[in-house]
Amino acid sequence: MERDAVSERAAGPRQSRRGFVNWLLGTSVGGLLLAVLYPVTRYLIPPETAESTAATVTLSIRPEDVAPNSAQIFRFGNQPGILVRTPAGELRAFSASCTHLSCIVQYRDDLGRLWCACHNGHFDLNGRVVQGPPPSPLETFVVNVRGDQIVVSRDA
Amino acid sequence: MMIRVLIGSGSLLILGGLAAPPDAAAQMPEESCVSCHSAFGDAPLGEPVQAYAADVHAAKGFGCVACHGGDAEDPGMSAMDPAAGYIGAPERDEVVLLCGRCHSSAQFMRRYNPALRVDQVAEYRTSVHGQQLLERGDERVATCTGCHPAHSIKPPSDPNSSVNPLNVAETCGSCHADPEYMAPYAIPTDQHEKYSESVHWQMMSEEGDLSAPTCNDCHGNHGAAPPGVGWVGNVCGQCHSVMAELFGKSFHARVFAMLGNPGCATCHENHDIGRAGDELLGLGEGAVCGMCHSEGDSGGEVALGMRALIDSLNAHYEAADSILAKAENAGIEVSEALFGLNEATTALVSARTAVHSFSLDSVAEQVEAGLAATSTAYARGEEALGEFLVRRLGLAVSVAIILALIAGLFLKIRKIEQLT
Repeated sequence: MERDAVSERAAGPRQSRRGFVNWLLGTSVGGLLLAVLYPVTRYLIPPETAESTAATVTLSIRPEDVAPNSAQIFRFGNQPGILVRTPAGELRAFSASCTHLSCIVQYRDDLGRLWCACHNGHFDLNGRVVQGPPPSPLETFVVNVRGDQIVVSRDA
Repeated sequence: MMIRVLIGSGSLLILGGLAAPPDAAAQMPEESCVSCHSAFGDAPLGEPVQAYAADVHAAKGFGCVACHGGDAEDPGMSAMDPAAGYIGAPERDEVVLLCGRCHSSAQFMRRYNPALRVDQVAEYRTSVHGQQLLERGDERVATCTGCHPAHSIKPPSDPNSSVNPLNVAETCGSCHADPEYMAPYAIPTDQHEKYSESVHWQMMSEEGDLSAPTCNDCHGNHGAAPPGVGWVGNVCGQCHSVMAELFGKSFHARVFAMLGNPGCATCHENHDIGRAGDELLGLGEGAVCGMCHSEGDSGGEVALGMRALIDSLNAHYEAADSILAKAENAGIEVSEALFGLNEATTALVSARTAVHSFSLDSVAEQVEAGLAATSTAYARGEEALGEFLVRRLGLAVSVAIILALIAGLFLKIRKIEQLT
């Protein structure tokens, strides 16, 4: 009788340790699955705004949204770009950071030029300085229209 | 007036034989002048021949007789017979008329350079140099060849030209920076030294911006004269148009005119114009408003208010930029927030420009727009850093789970080994 009682006392904690190890394994596997599934889920759900690379960006603007003799600002990485449709209907894109003091340039439909309001700098539709203090032309990007999408890239 | 008449009539007589512009095509490819004078080598009589080979006029086919007259077909000394129209080396006052024979003729000049202006002589007559020479007979002042060295004239686009933008200050300084030469005129001779320290020269010489101004952009070239006190703003406004417009409409423009202060130069100097920074604004050390205003007067209060607004936007911009940089370095994607911060850059530059209206409201309007952009950017930065902390915490929890899994597996394996 005494032997049985001793073996039961010994089996109790052993049983409890085994249970703990089994619980530990079960929760760890569960945790591991969560750790794998969470990033996979986050990866499958796209972010609200697309992240652009340093070299190319697909705009959320459709070609027909840009009327002739108008322009729209877009994000190129963390820098502003400006997409212009010339009066002749051609799409052109430039960096929208003025080369003088980095103000954001805008399109003047009355002049057909890109204009920096900060110090009255003017650029033509090739990005060249035509008036004012900017010391160098605007960086020019390559525009490709693929169906409904506009893809803007840095010139290689 | 008497001197002017004498100079004018004398020049006309001397240049009588050269009244019409020369015809480059009619000149000989090898003139007798060159044959003889080249024999002098580097000596004064041979030097012009050597130098002239690189002159723009030589490139266009003009020879010695175009300016000096004479008969280049005559191989003897009689080639230099005044009867053959030879005038020798023209006097300084004759040089203007001599050059003007061609350069003042639109019909003639369009054959060589249709875009070149033809009003140089007319402008020269209005310049301080021209008035000194033609009205007062002062032959020490600059004439055409003072800036465009005879026999080695090059177009301004040529980097070796004395009138290339990078060389203009040196050319003007060859007289104006020489205290001994300028002594009779009692004008400062430190302009070149001061200009060499200016932001304009820095832009041109270090950053390669040839559109930055040099002497002639503010003083005129052929009509060179100091800008009048009342029109300094117009001169600076050729490039700094927005500031000039705001200043022109401001109360300060009228007061400066009344006091005889030279517009922009009152605060920004004239030759040693530094890079304008926020330190110029306000009443502290280095601030120019304190030259007239003091704490307590309304102008001083506006100056302090504008400075405080700009400092505030600057501080908020720095804070937002710093937190976004921290988040970006930590590997969090913040390009959207950095993109938004560009609006604050525009607002900050616009606020600094609006200072020239001397209106607190105008500056405040720009600053408010900037603060809205910095506030959004900062909040996004905080959000990004929060996400970074969550990711770190997640990593710690994952590592703990993995370690627990390893420990559990180790114990399980040991138990199985004991049972077997």
